[in-house]
Amino acid sequence: MRYSYIKPRTKTLFTKDIQLLFAFFGVTIFMLFSTYAFLLFRDYRFNQDRAEINMKKEELRIHISKMNKQISSIEQQSMLSEKVFTKNSVLKESINNLFDLVPGRITLSEAKIMENGLILYGITPNKDVYNFMLQAPLRSIFYKTYSSFYPAKNGWLRFVSTNYMNEEELGSED
Amino acid sequence: MKINLSRQNIYLFALSVFLLIFVLVFSFSILIPEGKEYRIKRGEVNVESRELKQLSDFSLETEVILQKLQSDNLHIITAFENIFNAQRFEKQYKSFFSSLEVSKKSKVGDEDGFSVYEVNTSSEISSPKSFYDFLDAVNKSDWIIAVNFPINFKRDSEMISSSFTMKVYGNKKDLNSSK
Repeated sequence: MRYSYIKPRTKTLFTKDIQLLFAFFGVTIFMLFSTYAFLLFRDYRFNQDRAEINMKKEELRIHISKMNKQISSIEQQSMLSEKVFTKNSVLKESINNLFDLVPGRITLSEAKIMENGLILYGITPNKDVYNFMLQAPLRSIFYKTYSSFYPAKNGWLRFVSTNYMNEEELGSED
Repeated sequence: MKINLSRQNIYLFALSVFLLIFVLVFSFSILIPEGKEYRIKRGEVNVESRELKQLSDFSLETEVILQKLQSDNLHIITAFENIFNAQRFEKQYKSFFSSLEVSKKSKVGDEDGFSVYEVNTSSEISSPKSFYDFLDAVNKSDWIIAVNFPINFKRDSEMISSSFTMKVYGNKKDLNSSK
């Protein structure tokens, strides 16, 4: 006996409404998870980038420190060499001035140039020539000047002139 | 008023509410904090990138300064690195003297962070000018040399015998390698 003129529908759990609901929430959840995955991936990349940047910074710091050491070493070398070159030039001028100081009538046989003094050995026609032409300028330069004479064979006088700088002046020059 | 809800609609509503709660909980407890952390980390990476750029620029500037110093002081740098060689010195500076003898070097100590060797020299010159020329030339030599006291000049017939000490400066690392 038939109670209905239509064919009975097959009953299913996934009705149109459920399908729509799942589709909507499926898309939403997919978007949420993909955003979360993107954030996790970016975090991971940021950590990697930071580690890489820190490594590069450390390398650069080491490189800069090495270069700074080289710069200070070169500056030191330059300063010392300047000092040495100036000392050599001053020495040249000093020796030049010393020989210019000796008048033509006096002949030097030996000169000892020391850090704190000067010893000159030579021959002079007489004491006056020595005193006026050599000892006077030497006295103006040196703090202490001693002279001794002894006769030479030709009637002239051999002399030894010992001159010392003031130790305090010498110390302040250094 | 009576609301007539079928059992199916109630299930549908319950499922919708559950999924909505899940979405909200997930967003507020996980996604939003993670997003905040992402922004903080992005800011930190940007700051560190800027620092790296500054450091890199500074490194380049330092390198330029170093290269300029190296090229300006090339002679001095090589001179400090060179180990003193008495034979080579005699060969180079013999022309300034009638005779030149250089003794073996001996270490006298350190000065301003550099090792210092002392070399005694005895020579013969025809006039003091040769010595002045030598002093000019020694400033351009392959080594850093300071002519030092005491300096003796002694007349010997037509020639002048001279003896003096020279201080040769070198880098400290040469201490072990030098003879």
